[in-house]
Amino acid sequence: MEKEIIENSLNINRRKFLSQMSLGLGSVALGSLLIPDLFSKPDDDVSSVMLGMPHFAPKAKRVIYLFQNGAPSQLESFDYKPKLREMAGQDLPESVRMGQRLTGMSAFQAHFPLAGSVYDFQQYGKSRAWISDLFPHTAKVVDDICIIKTMYTEAINHDPALTFFQTGAQQGNRPSFGSWMSYGLGSENKNLPAFCVLLSRGKGNGQGVYSKLWSNGFLDSIHQGVQFSSGENPVLYLNDHAGINKSDRRKMLDKLAEMNDINYKQFGDPEINTKIQQYEMAYRMQTAVPDITDTSKEPDDIVKLYGPDCLVPGTYAANCLLARKLSENGVRFVQLYHQGWDQHSNLPKDMPGQAKDVDQASAALITDLKQRGLLDETLVIWGGEFGRTNYSQGKLEKTNYGRDHHPRCFSIWMAGGGVKSGIVYGETDEFGYNIIKDGIHVHDFHATCLHLLGLNHEKLTYKSQGRRYRLTDLAGQVIDGIMA
Amino acid sequence: MNKTLKRIAENFLFAANIFILFLLLFENKMIFPAWLQSVGRMHPMFLHFPIVILLIAMCMEFFRHKSTYSSQEFYQNFTTLFLLIGAISAAITVIMGLLLSKENGYTGDAVMFHKWFGVGIVFIASFIYWVRNKNFFTPLLAKIFSVVTVCCIIIGGHLGANVTHGENFVSTPFLSKKITEKAPIERAVLYTDVVQPLLAAKCMSCHNSEKAKGNLLLDNEADILKGGKNGKLFIPSNPRNSLLIERINLPEEEKKHMPLSGKPQLSDDEKELLFRWIQTGADFKKKVIDLPEGDSLRLIAAKFLAPPQEEEFTFSPADEKTIHSLSNNYRVVYPVAVESPALIVDFYNRKQFTSKALEELNAVKKQIVTLNVNKMPVTDNDLKTISQFENLRILNLNFTDITGNGLQQLSALKYLKSLSISGDKIDNKNIAVINKIKSLKEVFVWNTPLKTDDINALKNENKNIVFVEGYINDGKPTQLNNPILLTTKYIFSDTIHLALKHPIPGTQIRYTLDNTDPDSVSVLYKDDLVLDKTLTFKARAFKETWLPSDSIVYDFYKSGYKPDTVFFADLPADKYKADGAKSLFDNKTGELNFGLGKWIGFQKDMEVFMQFNKPVKLHSVALHMLKNIGGDIYPPTLIQVWGGINKTHLKLLQTIKPIMPGNGDISSLFLEECKFAPTNIGYIKIIATSVKNVPKFGTSPNKKGWIFTDEIFLN
Repeated sequence: MEKEIIENSLNINRRKFLSQMSLGLGSVALGSLLIPDLFSKPDDDVSSVMLGMPHFAPKAKRVIYLFQNGAPSQLESFDYKPKLREMAGQDLPESVRMGQRLTGMSAFQAHFPLAGSVYDFQQYGKSRAWISDLFPHTAKVVDDICIIKTMYTEAINHDPALTFFQTGAQQGNRPSFGSWMSYGLGSENKNLPAFCVLLSRGKGNGQGVYSKLWSNGFLDSIHQGVQFSSGENPVLYLNDHAGINKSDRRKMLDKLAEMNDINYKQFGDPEINTKIQQYEMAYRMQTAVPDITDTSKEPDDIVKLYGPDCLVPGTYAANCLLARKLSENGVRFVQLYHQGWDQHSNLPKDMPGQAKDVDQASAALITDLKQRGLLDETLVIWGGEFGRTNYSQGKLEKTNYGRDHHPRCFSIWMAGGGVKSGIVYGETDEFGYNIIKDGIHVHDFHATCLHLLGLNHEKLTYKSQGRRYRLTDLAGQVIDGIMA
Repeated sequence: MNKTLKRIAENFLFAANIFILFLLLFENKMIFPAWLQSVGRMHPMFLHFPIVILLIAMCMEFFRHKSTYSSQEFYQNFTTLFLLIGAISAAITVIMGLLLSKENGYTGDAVMFHKWFGVGIVFIASFIYWVRNKNFFTPLLAKIFSVVTVCCIIIGGHLGANVTHGENFVSTPFLSKKITEKAPIERAVLYTDVVQPLLAAKCMSCHNSEKAKGNLLLDNEADILKGGKNGKLFIPSNPRNSLLIERINLPEEEKKHMPLSGKPQLSDDEKELLFRWIQTGADFKKKVIDLPEGDSLRLIAAKFLAPPQEEEFTFSPADEKTIHSLSNNYRVVYPVAVESPALIVDFYNRKQFTSKALEELNAVKKQIVTLNVNKMPVTDNDLKTISQFENLRILNLNFTDITGNGLQQLSALKYLKSLSISGDKIDNKNIAVINKIKSLKEVFVWNTPLKTDDINALKNENKNIVFVEGYINDGKPTQLNNPILLTTKYIFSDTIHLALKHPIPGTQIRYTLDNTDPDSVSVLYKDDLVLDKTLTFKARAFKETWLPSDSIVYDFYKSGYKPDTVFFADLPADKYKADGAKSLFDNKTGELNFGLGKWIGFQKDMEVFMQFNKPVKLHSVALHMLKNIGGDIYPPTLIQVWGGINKTHLKLLQTIKPIMPGNGDISSLFLEECKFAPTNIGYIKIIATSVKNVPKFGTSPNKKGWIFTDEIFLN
């Protein structure tokens, strides 16, 4: 309310100022100097008018983000560096490291022995992309994906890095990527939340995920991510208690809405309206969710495509299948987290299991979306929060080593939704340590994703505590090179 | 003014006029010394004097015959003097200009006209000065001549500005808004649409047919290939030895750096564009899309070009209220983007769908470009409604109830680009309709009765359409995932019921109880499986057309009797004492990770006593133990079991010597069982002797080893 009053008085001032100064061209020129938007449509108004709608024709309508939590090694997946095998055991040259900060876990090592991948790489697809033998299914869909070898971030530890990827800031408290999207584009299907979150964990060394990663921050709470769990009730507290039937529930909700409405008229708190809307959506979700989470009707071919684990709730494969179903039903943003990628030690023992968990189902998701004609309008992202060092953390053995955190370059892949398919973007040096060409910062990544969704990342703003915030903070460039 | 001085000035003006005439006649035959070049270069600075002085003088000349002024001596003298000074400064400026024009690069129409206007100004001004007091020079003539001079000054000055600053220097800020249309990448020609606009923007202000600095013209292909006075501009395919690349990459402060310091510079992308263009042979005809995908030149060129053309919708937008009223919880109608007239319609919830819901969309039938009725019970009849959505581009009909007969109707859709009929009963006969939809680009036919051969035939017939066949089961059997054991207890006192399931319907689970791997003839699991003794349970899943799963292996332990008291002779190590002696009968087994507080560990012999208030008949004592070479944890070298009716009547019931692990053995849990003839027992003592000297391959050779145990089973 206060905000409106201030804005109103500002408007009056502008009018008065102009009428008093309407003495000639000079004063108008002065006026336009003082109020830059005087003769054009003010930019800021655009964002408020455009809410719930793309700013321009989008390439992608929805996002499925397959987050590999813990940071999978780029050197055992998509960034082939034969030089590291040749130089195995030798120290990382200072000319390559260039004073890069390291984590406390390996900073005090006397040596930084370079470690090559124990897994072989082959070339696939029209881009002749190198992919390690750990990802045979991903290799089969290589012509449908865009491998980016030059992502980089600023954070070096899991929590800030993860938070940076998910919210555009390292410190937390900001709205999540999915929340921004829900805020910017609204929900397609009013029977489901616009932003859903699915968790799974592999056997590898894991790192936590916290609900702050799907928080709405300062945005309206309707934009918060809704977590689906693997238990009997995929969405907690959604089902009616025993003994309450649908019509009782309906009556109760109607009465509740009435009372909330009285409250709203009295206090004008928009959060009350949000609450009414959420109750209503939950009511509709009571029928929509069981339909979607029921995978028993999926044909045998789909089970074989995703792998039989897709019928075991709580696995990554099951979450991929669920992600497809949610997305198919108009959920704007489906966020998966798969834990267990933090291979500080025993990498050769841990990583095959992790890769096996995600490889088939990730590739299956691409194939499945494609065969339904949905890949064109769905942006799929696969990747972690940073990469891993080219040197071994701890002792380098012939068949065993570990890798520490590495923010300077790492690989992710994107597919569908206006992304160029079948290309490899960016170049890293032969040590897999620095970016040579075409680096993509986290802010650039967000700007590009928003662009694909028809949103101008500089115009998607929300004013909180006196300042307008963006997902991309004050940075971010749309990367044309990865867009079709 | 001093008359002598005036006379000198008049003579100077006359001489200057003659000199100018001389220069004009013989300029092509003269060579100027270098210092004169500097004089010439002062032309752009000096020219401001004659402009201002002459303008004032001409104004005064214009009003000279007005009665108020004609009598004023000062006015008359001042005008005369100003006219003289103006004419002289104009003459000097012109001489300077003529010297400057001898420098490189001043050719072309603009320079020529500027020259003649300049010269004209000098001659006219001088002429006025000499004849203005003659009788024939009437007041009217004076006015005409002054106006003509002013006009000449304005036009000549403007032309000069064009030569110095480039054409449209003044008007550019207004004109720049109208950026020339960028060509879409699909039809862009590399030179015409990418390289040429770059040259025009950054190079051609100096290297054009007007100015031609260094005799280099960039106006057309022939001129570019000809090069300038320093030779050829570039060698195709050899950018590293090309003059152009050399010059643009010199440090900016170098004199030969191009573009000249102070002019707009080339960006890195622009430099790379020129480099790559020359590297690939400097072709003037090649199209951007003829370059291989992913090619660096193509990628850079794409940055300079407009993105692929967005579709412009020409139809008028629908009424906002109508759109709003059509949207409900199960039918969502929304514009493609802000200010776009095009609409997207999605249907959700199969139970809520009716044909009427589709018909109501007729209110916006012109505006719908995308329709999604995925999984809705849409019938052939409904396709008639859909076929009226004349501007439809994308149609998702996956998993609907259409049979294919109705598909004919879709031929009315003139703009349809993408059609999804996955999961529909469309066969080879009905699909033929797509021939009639010329605009089609992609068709999704996964999970239809169409066979691979049919689809290949379709692909051949419709080369411009992409058919997505999707996943086809290659017939190779896939391995089943493991059965899931729902029972979570592994230690039982009497019997235990085993519950198992498999996520894939129709899967058989087969099991063994004798530590062999189950095969396709092993016992079939039924829900009534009950165990009554300690054993290893193995189970596998089997299903036709699938490979059997791996075996799941679980050990089940029968723990028939629990003593009433249990205690140690010596206490276990502080780090591994679990919950004390009672942990040995808490039905909780430890894990391979021995640090989790479930194991009892001794780095010496373990002696444990158990007492029953009422004697029981026992025939077996078993210890559940851990071995872990890395942690120096070994089986006991010897286990002695003593028992009797009470503490004072103990006798040795059994002694066993467990097998010691060898080098490289992996950590594992194991059971050491001592069997003996059934005996009535009220008191029992177990002595487990620990390894005295850890073997050489161990972590701490020759030191004492550990023994770890977590449960004792008495039966």
